[in-house]
Amino acid sequence: MSILTGTHASDGIGIGTTVVANTPELHREPTPVADIEAEKARLTAAIEAYTAAVLAQAEQLECSVGQAEADILRGHVLMIRDPYMHGDMLALIESGMCAEEATSRICEQFAATFEASDNDVIQARATDVRDVCAGVLAKLAGVDALGFSELPPDCVLVTHELTPSMVAGLNRENVVALVAETGSATSHAAILARALDIPTVLAVAEACAALPSGTLAVVNALEGTVTVDPDDATLAAARSQLDALRSEQEHLAHYAGLPTVTGDGARLLVTANIHNVAEARRACECDAEGVGLLRTEFLFMDARALPTEDQQYEAYTQVVKQMEGGPVTIRTLDIGGDKCLTYLDMAQEANPLLGLRGIRYCLQHEDVFRTQLRALLRAAAYGDVRITIPLVTCVDEIREVKSRLARYAEELEREGVAGIADVAANLQVGVMVETPAAALMASALADEADFFSIGTNDLTGYIMASDRANASVRSLYSAHNPAVLRAIHDVAAAGQNAGIAVEMCGEAAADPLLIPVWIAFGIDEFSVNSASILRTRKEIQAWTRSEAAELADAVMRLTTEREVREALVAARK
Amino acid sequence: MVTQAATLNHPHGFHMRPAGLFATKMASFESSVTLSAHGTNVDGKSLMQIMSCGFTCGTEITVTCEGTDEADALAAAVQTIEAAA
Repeated sequence: MSILTGTHASDGIGIGTTVVANTPELHREPTPVADIEAEKARLTAAIEAYTAAVLAQAEQLECSVGQAEADILRGHVLMIRDPYMHGDMLALIESGMCAEEATSRICEQFAATFEASDNDVIQARATDVRDVCAGVLAKLAGVDALGFSELPPDCVLVTHELTPSMVAGLNRENVVALVAETGSATSHAAILARALDIPTVLAVAEACAALPSGTLAVVNALEGTVTVDPDDATLAAARSQLDALRSEQEHLAHYAGLPTVTGDGARLLVTANIHNVAEARRACECDAEGVGLLRTEFLFMDARALPTEDQQYEAYTQVVKQMEGGPVTIRTLDIGGDKCLTYLDMAQEANPLLGLRGIRYCLQHEDVFRTQLRALLRAAAYGDVRITIPLVTCVDEIREVKSRLARYAEELEREGVAGIADVAANLQVGVMVETPAAALMASALADEADFFSIGTNDLTGYIMASDRANASVRSLYSAHNPAVLRAIHDVAAAGQNAGIAVEMCGEAAADPLLIPVWIAFGIDEFSVNSASILRTRKEIQAWTRSEAAELADAVMRLTTEREVREALVAARK
Repeated sequence: MVTQAATLNHPHGFHMRPAGLFATKMASFESSVTLSAHGTNVDGKSLMQIMSCGFTCGTEITVTCEGTDEADALAAAVQTIEAAA
């Protein structure tokens, strides 16, 4: 038994027997061409056959998975039809080269150019060019590219480079996992593997040699490991983990499409934490009732220059439309601390977590903030949009944000944006409660804010003065600490007294041990990762409010983290 | 021959989808379409050449069109580059 490691590209666990699929060496030795016109016609016919096959596959994929995934394959058709692909291949044939040699030459040339790019998205497209190349060479040889449609049952497919057409073409019901020696989570193949829900580990060095066809393997894509020839104990553990995953999924499926209610029928909300429209789509698939936290900094971190107002408007609007009327809480730019934008020339700070981050940065950089607030105001016309402000410590900050929003709404109205005054008047502006200062000032903040979002990750760190990334103090970083629970209790109470909604985002919102405590405190909305939505809904339904209140009362009398945890574990349903 | 500068407004730059849409649109014109940025020139009708350049959001691209429908081609090119796709 040995364990290989790689990059997890699509979650899950697969147990099966390997099939190593090396792209067959289709390219023969260069052969002399007798009839140039006939050779050109042979290439053109192969490209036409390839195009027809890819478009048919795209059509199928669009029905089974979706348009975005199908468009990956349609992009391959655009590639081969490019004048500098097909056209230059024909020119090489004119000079006496055979069709196979011409195809390989041109494709390799583009693959090398893409690989040399300093943009990792373009780099990843080298795989797509090679995929196109292999597809055309197969048609020239008159063979079905790889015959992946007939993989045996319980197959772990192992390959050097996983391409989009391999993933799209395999028989899903027989393939339990995918392993490749190269690749990254941003590759088109990884996107397709996730869409098809196939456990996938990429960048596993020497995988083909270590996993020859017929090897028993356990692919744990949650951990990014592949166990070769697992012993009985490992195999049994993996099987029970897989069974647990499956039965949990089956069980949780009962909660899909149902409203979130406590055991005694109080209506709550489970929403999703996301950072882009692709995640919004996944949140909908996972039955989110809205978005509780749209982190906008990713839009800024993925770009090389500040996104313009129109780009931001477009990105926010896409998410709002995707959520089809469900509430969408958008957090304004939260950079600084550990999140830096290279193109903004941000100052190095001795203590960044206590430095210029969150709303502090935005208030000091009016141009950046103005662009975002204008984009948010415009996007708010498309649905139930709320804005939440990160790292608030003072009442002045929320007042200032509200006055700027009013000013920018007037600007937009003067510029002729229809109906913006109504949108601005109805726009809810909330405060992220994630600092001790905000927690202590909750009752004053509640008079200014339309809602609270309790950000438990930062709140726990700041209250416990503990960096979770620092192994020597990590044990202090826990939302089970009485200090954290007391702060959250008081914040929720302040929100309820003022009659505003109290939402919670951060990992503690999905902590099954703490969910009854949050119910008792009066949390209205739980914003969690998409994968935790149904589980959170189930946990909420397991508790009546009176049971939860009884547990919370007992827990609030405890004075150590360990006592709290033990009490919560003992009460776990 | 007509020329105009335009700033690329797609948040993720000219990757496969937007570059493909652009090249397909340009192919419908008779005129030649050349994109220039960072000292390199590429054929605006070629997805592969456009992708090779790795144009990112915010890049200023100079578009040059030459042919019978050059004014229309230029207008369409500039509009597509500047539209946030």
